[in-house]
Amino acid sequence: MSGKDVGSPHSHTTSRSSISRRTLLASGAAVGATTALGGCLGSEDNRLTVGFALPFTGTYALLGESIVAGFELFIEQQGGEINGREVEFVRRDTEAETSRGVDVTRELLLEARADAIVGPVSSAVAMAMIQPIQTESSAIWFNANAGDYRVTAEGCPEYHFRTSFNDWQTSAPLAEFVYEEVADNVCLAYADYAFGQNSKEFFKEAFEDLGGEVVEEVGAPLGTDDFSPYLGDIQGSGADAVYSFFAGDDAVNYVNAFSDFGLNEEMVQTGSGFMLANDTLPAQGESALGMYSLLHYTTTHDTERNREFVENYVEMYDETPNVYACQGYDSAQAFAGAVEETGGTDPDEMAESLVEMEFDSPRGEFEFDPETHEAIQNLYVREVVEADDGESVENEVVETLEDVEGPDWGCSHR
Amino acid sequence: MVESVLRATLLGLQLGMTLALIAAGLTLIFGMLDVINFAHGALYMLGAYFGTVIAGQFGSFWLALLLAPLMVGLVGAAIEILSLRPLYDRNPLYHILLTFGIAIMIQGAIIQIWGAQSRQIPIPDLLSGTVAVGPVNYPVYWLFVLGVSTVLIGIVWLAIERSDLGILMQASAHDTEMVSALGIDVSKVFTGVFVFGAILAGIAGVLLGGSRSVHPGMGFGIIIEAFIIVVIGGLGSFRGAVYAALLIGLVTAYGALIAPTLTELFLFIMMAIVLMAKPSGLFGATEAA
Amino acid sequence: MKSVVEFFDRSQASPTGNELLSGQGRLAVLVSIVVLALFAPIANAYEPFWLNMLVRMMIFALLALSLDFIFGYAGLLSFGHAAMFGAGGYAAAMLITDVTANALIVLPIAMVVGAVVAGIIGWFSVRAHGIYFAMLTLAFAQMFYVIAFTDLPATVLGLESFTGGDNGLFGIQRYETFGVDFTSTLLYFYLTLATVALSFVALLRLSNSPFGRVLQGIRENEERIQFLGYNVQRYKVLGFALSGAFAGLAGGLYVPFQSVSHPGLLHWMISGELVVMLLLGGLGTLWGPMLGAGLVIFLEEQLAGFASWEIILGGIFVVVVIFAPQGLAGAITSVRNDPKNVVTNAKRAIRNYVDKVRK
Repeated sequence: MSGKDVGSPHSHTTSRSSISRRTLLASGAAVGATTALGGCLGSEDNRLTVGFALPFTGTYALLGESIVAGFELFIEQQGGEINGREVEFVRRDTEAETSRGVDVTRELLLEARADAIVGPVSSAVAMAMIQPIQTESSAIWFNANAGDYRVTAEGCPEYHFRTSFNDWQTSAPLAEFVYEEVADNVCLAYADYAFGQNSKEFFKEAFEDLGGEVVEEVGAPLGTDDFSPYLGDIQGSGADAVYSFFAGDDAVNYVNAFSDFGLNEEMVQTGSGFMLANDTLPAQGESALGMYSLLHYTTTHDTERNREFVENYVEMYDETPNVYACQGYDSAQAFAGAVEETGGTDPDEMAESLVEMEFDSPRGEFEFDPETHEAIQNLYVREVVEADDGESVENEVVETLEDVEGPDWGCSHR
Repeated sequence: MVESVLRATLLGLQLGMTLALIAAGLTLIFGMLDVINFAHGALYMLGAYFGTVIAGQFGSFWLALLLAPLMVGLVGAAIEILSLRPLYDRNPLYHILLTFGIAIMIQGAIIQIWGAQSRQIPIPDLLSGTVAVGPVNYPVYWLFVLGVSTVLIGIVWLAIERSDLGILMQASAHDTEMVSALGIDVSKVFTGVFVFGAILAGIAGVLLGGSRSVHPGMGFGIIIEAFIIVVIGGLGSFRGAVYAALLIGLVTAYGALIAPTLTELFLFIMMAIVLMAKPSGLFGATEAA
Repeated sequence: MKSVVEFFDRSQASPTGNELLSGQGRLAVLVSIVVLALFAPIANAYEPFWLNMLVRMMIFALLALSLDFIFGYAGLLSFGHAAMFGAGGYAAAMLITDVTANALIVLPIAMVVGAVVAGIIGWFSVRAHGIYFAMLTLAFAQMFYVIAFTDLPATVLGLESFTGGDNGLFGIQRYETFGVDFTSTLLYFYLTLATVALSFVALLRLSNSPFGRVLQGIRENEERIQFLGYNVQRYKVLGFALSGAFAGLAGGLYVPFQSVSHPGLLHWMISGELVVMLLLGGLGTLWGPMLGAGLVIFLEEQLAGFASWEIILGGIFVVVVIFAPQGLAGAITSVRNDPKNVVTNAKRAIRNYVDKVRK
């Protein structure tokens, strides 16, 4: 394959450092032979290209938009450039669909010649992206939301850096809090697909290790609209607490039904933070009051760094940031850090430098695990409380679990 | 156990009656206009979105329940007059492509206008909370949805079977030429039927928008379920659609108790068996072609 | 409503693919293949992504071709072709992972799997007619989707994973045949081009064979064919299975190229998109649907960067249905036959539309 030596990052670096591409192009423009060269050199001017492989339509569109907004905010704060190089954004809609995910990833790598891929949202898409990104080896990959641990466990892709979370992080560490503060027996209720199953398994393992008892497991198909039959099983289990994984519309429907049926008066609801996040809380409202959840970012978390982030975000978009925006923002931070540190965009060099860095994020400081490239970060146990305005509800951090390190998924990169 | 079954039964009935509102329009439009309306789910979704906007703007659920379906009716009128009307003499297959295109456009427009965030229609205090139905506590709103949709379906049933207008509607489905010979403008009847179907879907949208999340995927999400109902009930049969909707509602609700992941599979198996054994549908023996 | 059922039975599709058998038609096909073959290395050097898109266009062209064969000829509208496409794809994924990456072994098996799945669906469905047939195929295809999504075989057989559930089977390599490694997109392009071209010739031949004529006769008048002593149901099942074989072949090409096989391949949206490709391209012409497939893939790709792509794509469908009822093939034929009156014809179409709306 000609092109900019996609297969060989080394020649790529040398050519980049030598001559300014713009001069080269200008000087050669008159000569016919340069057409091929132009093709070769692609984004040859000095710009950095960031490719967003995210859903912008369908159920997950909000997540995609938020990640982009967070990313662009950080770049905007740097005056639109990193290391003196202008940053260009190319967004492609994965439609949260596996085949499209592969297509747009290749398009971003080959056509847009992205230096970094940011995305995706769904894990099935992430799994399908591993191969194209590894094959081209031309870009660093910031996984800004897809949390299935298997994205790491499947061969520990070397350009993959999870600027978000994995399903172990948002489930297992909550077990201790539940066991000590809430109840020693739980019913598990989860969306019956890979992510939901993983989350409940991780929680179960941790909870049982502590001596807790899981009295019942209730799986509801992904995309369930009416939860009342499942609520019967949950109620019938007689457990004192429930641990759940639901996200998006499932979370809205589940939490609303849970309180519509008055279960919140009998048992304590706990779960992964996505069940009670900024994108679901407005539609859940008072139904969510008193529920506990675990996440790595909370908009209302009261630190100086976060207040500043929220202020800037609100100023730019007239909206409060959610966890996805923070993940996008941190992806930008990581990319900027890597470019500045290595002085270029060689993905191997960037990957090496990223594991050395520590990031000052609105979520708290975090760094990448050198083996797994997962974020080692704080996790926050939150409770849903009434907001100061008296009308809406919000999360309040009740406990911070610091620098949580997870399993290593059998990875050893170096 | 008794409680679970009772709860599932109530849910099944409520699901059935709301699905009937959607399927009724779909089957009437198919029966009379020969149109397989892929955009019907999008109309249901529009009802829910108009409902969130009106309820949010004026703080009144009741106003939303009144106005949103009428607005959906207007959209339906525009679709029928501007795109379907010129195509009636065309091969009905093209209606699929047309309404598919319209459905995608509506979904895209919703994301452009309201974004992709889940919403919900706030329900009035009068309807919040639970009430004891025998041994179980059941949400008042869900019972309200069951009641309203049952009453509506009842009215529509009477209107179609008894009133002059209903008879006219049935007549134009069977023999357009005769109806036009009577000096009645068939194209007005067609527009009327389409708008009527759209309004029913809009009502279902507002009603369910109070208990389910309102999101841009809900249109395509419901359309296949609605097709299953229409097929099982017998294409074009109103009565069949209502019975089939109840059947599907109950199967879905009981299925969730027994084998949640297999329920969907079971629905398709049911659809296939009905099609093979009795293509005119379980309940539509006389009416379907 | 009768008319719907009748229409589906006796679709007014033009005599299928006949124009392709004329000298001019053959030349056009040959030229297209040569142009594609020559264009590929240039695309590869200049803009590798085009090549990538071309491969996908050709695979979907093959899929559209397989549906047009059964719909254009026997008048059987399948709303479940995704089942055969996906089945071929899953078969290829499993074979490549566990057995061999030899295309000469895997692709034929993908065809067989597609044919078997189609045979099963067809056997159950062919007694139904028109829209009922379409709905039956939809129901069966959705069963396959649900089975793959929930990974039912793994549950039943007690395996850890069979279809890989909602994530599917990923990390699938491309073909390697007798030392030729198709990992390079350019080689994969040639593999695809050759396969699609051969399939095209095969289906065109088949369409105009005695077998094809019987299928055509069934579409025109099923009772008469039955009366003549043909076993109509068997012909239909056979025709459907043949169509399914090519759909499976398309799946077998698609999955290794994408490196992943997932339940989305079996979903009704793929079947629906396929029908859209046929209608956009022009039913029953064999070449029209192939163009339609290419156009849809191209549009999706070009519009992917727009936030409002759904509105644009949907709008294109609507405009085509209203103003170009014979699809691309019809538009091209009309421009070729009557190049001078393009503008007048367009004006007439618009006037016609306005008149009908006012009616």
